Amino acid sequence: MIVALALSAAVSAALGTLALLRVWPAAGVPASRPLVGALGAGLGAGLSSLLLFAWLLLFGPTRAFPPAEVALLGLLAFAMYRSRRRLGLGTKQGEWLAGPARLLTPIFALALVAAAAAFVAMLRQEPHGEWDAWMNWNMRARMIFLGGPTWRTAFAPELPWSHPDYPVLVPSLVVRAWLYAGHATLLGPGLVAATFALAAVAVLVTALAALRAPSQGLLAGMVLLATPFFIQHATSLYADVPLAFFFLATVVCLALDDRAGGATPRFAMLAGFSAGLAMWTKNEGLLFTACVLAGIVASGRRAGWLETRRRLTHIGAGLLLPSLVVVTFKLTLAPPNDLLSTLGVERTLGRLADLARYGTVARAYAMHLVTFGANGLPGAVWPLAVFAGALGWNPVERQRPWAQAVAIALGLLLAGHFMVFVSMADELVRLLASSLDRLILQLWPSALFLGFMATRTLEEAGATEPLTPFAARSAALHQERTQ
Amino acid sequence: MIRLRSLRHCVALIAILLYAGFSTARWARRALHWPAHAGTDEVSVYERRFDRLRQALPPTGVVGYLGYPDPAGRPSDTVPSPALLHFRRYLLAQYALAPLLLVEDTTRALVVGNFEPGAERVPPAGFGTAGEFGDGLLLFQRGRP
Repeated sequence: MIVALALSAAVSAALGTLALLRVWPAAGVPASRPLVGALGAGLGAGLSSLLLFAWLLLFGPTRAFPPAEVALLGLLAFAMYRSRRRLGLGTKQGEWLAGPARLLTPIFALALVAAAAAFVAMLRQEPHGEWDAWMNWNMRARMIFLGGPTWRTAFAPELPWSHPDYPVLVPSLVVRAWLYAGHATLLGPGLVAATFALAAVAVLVTALAALRAPSQGLLAGMVLLATPFFIQHATSLYADVPLAFFFLATVVCLALDDRAGGATPRFAMLAGFSAGLAMWTKNEGLLFTACVLAGIVASGRRAGWLETRRRLTHIGAGLLLPSLVVVTFKLTLAPPNDLLSTLGVERTLGRLADLARYGTVARAYAMHLVTFGANGLPGAVWPLAVFAGALGWNPVERQRPWAQAVAIALGLLLAGHFMVFVSMADELVRLLASSLDRLILQLWPSALFLGFMATRTLEEAGATEPLTPFAARSAALHQERTQ
Repeated sequence: MIRLRSLRHCVALIAILLYAGFSTARWARRALHWPAHAGTDEVSVYERRFDRLRQALPPTGVVGYLGYPDPAGRPSDTVPSPALLHFRRYLLAQYALAPLLLVEDTTRALVVGNFEPGAERVPPAGFGTAGEFGDGLLLFQRGRP
């Protein structure tokens, strides 16, 4: 069973990585081989989810899916072998062993091992996850997997409390793991959670390493691993960490697109695909996608309107496939959203006119943002503020159009959630207490990426002695050999 | 080896390493609290309670559900929110019996009774007891004497 589950993870990761290699621009980003692997693990899981959903509609939850998926992987691998494309990859391995990264790599490895061990221990203690996991995501997975020909009951309107209108990326991946394993093991949801948590850390570290410096990636990765709610919530088996992964992947692809400077449409298309997978994970993904598009438009003056139009068109192209799946799901299976369908215009207007609600939400925002990531120290923003204050901003990175677009998008997203709290929540204080940290968590890896991209690296700030000629030559040689 | 040039750079690095170090120690401590026995969590225990009942039910379809405590009951020190506890137990029953659909009414031919262990329970009007599965779990069937 463990082997079958490992195979399910390996197949989706390989599918994602091969698909990425197929589309990765030949003149891509140097040192991006680890990044392709990290992105491939998460985007591959998203791709597998889309495939399984199509399979469900055509054949139901049958055990023929794993062999079919493996066959598809084989075809993709064969196509890759035949094409023999020259890839713009490389590992920049020498730089992981030089300068500040030489000190930070073992510390990061220690933090990763400790976090992984805690993850497993917490999951063993609560293998079904927290409330929302068993009442919603895993319950739906059980109804699909065990329901056989009656799997559509999982979306029955008799279960309004389980939000049957929610997108099904997480349940479908759990079903997929069970199809590989042959039965509904509790390790399935745990594997899905571990995949996205690890992929989020890996994308953050490798993207910053490729675009800035390995030391910057390692420091950001340490902060993410050290954020208690990130690991704890991953073991809750909710959909927020997978959603955070797709937000981060979108933002990283936007940064890559900016760096490519219009030479290729592929990174923008990948950003669109990733945003589409966010929509396929949770309804919040819709708001995120709208905010990203708005952010790109708002930062259009700096990028130039022609460039903005190009970017929007390509993002739209990337959005097509996942959007099609989301629309199919909403039209064929999902009942109306319980929150929206119970909204009355009068009640909503009444809430919007209640100024006290704005104050309550604003206070909660301030409190949760400042204390987010508290781990004995008061919160994660304080060490980050000290780090940024001490090293300063990188003026070039900070001014890039993608950075401005993402900053605007994240701000809009927070503002959008603010208005949702004000206008929709009946039990406002309870809802803020139970969901605000989750909303911040969804944005957290993207915010860390943005912050560490815009902050000067230790090397840029002249924190270390320059490499000795020998070390520099050895790093260069190492890099040459590994590329 | 790295030689740091100024206090500012030292402070930057220490700020992150201190934050990461706090959490790493916390994760290591948490990992040492390895649960001795798996499957002793509330949901697993609750699921096992339904094992025998599950075999007496059809694999799919819709059945009724009656639960406890009374959601309109008065809050007490031990049960501060009877409605929430009632709902939680219903959700856990639904999770344990999926893919069967549980609806909170007595309009179906079969009704699952999930009651306080040891409490006396009479079947709903028009139903008879089709099975007792211990720990407060019963199955009622319409028209059964």
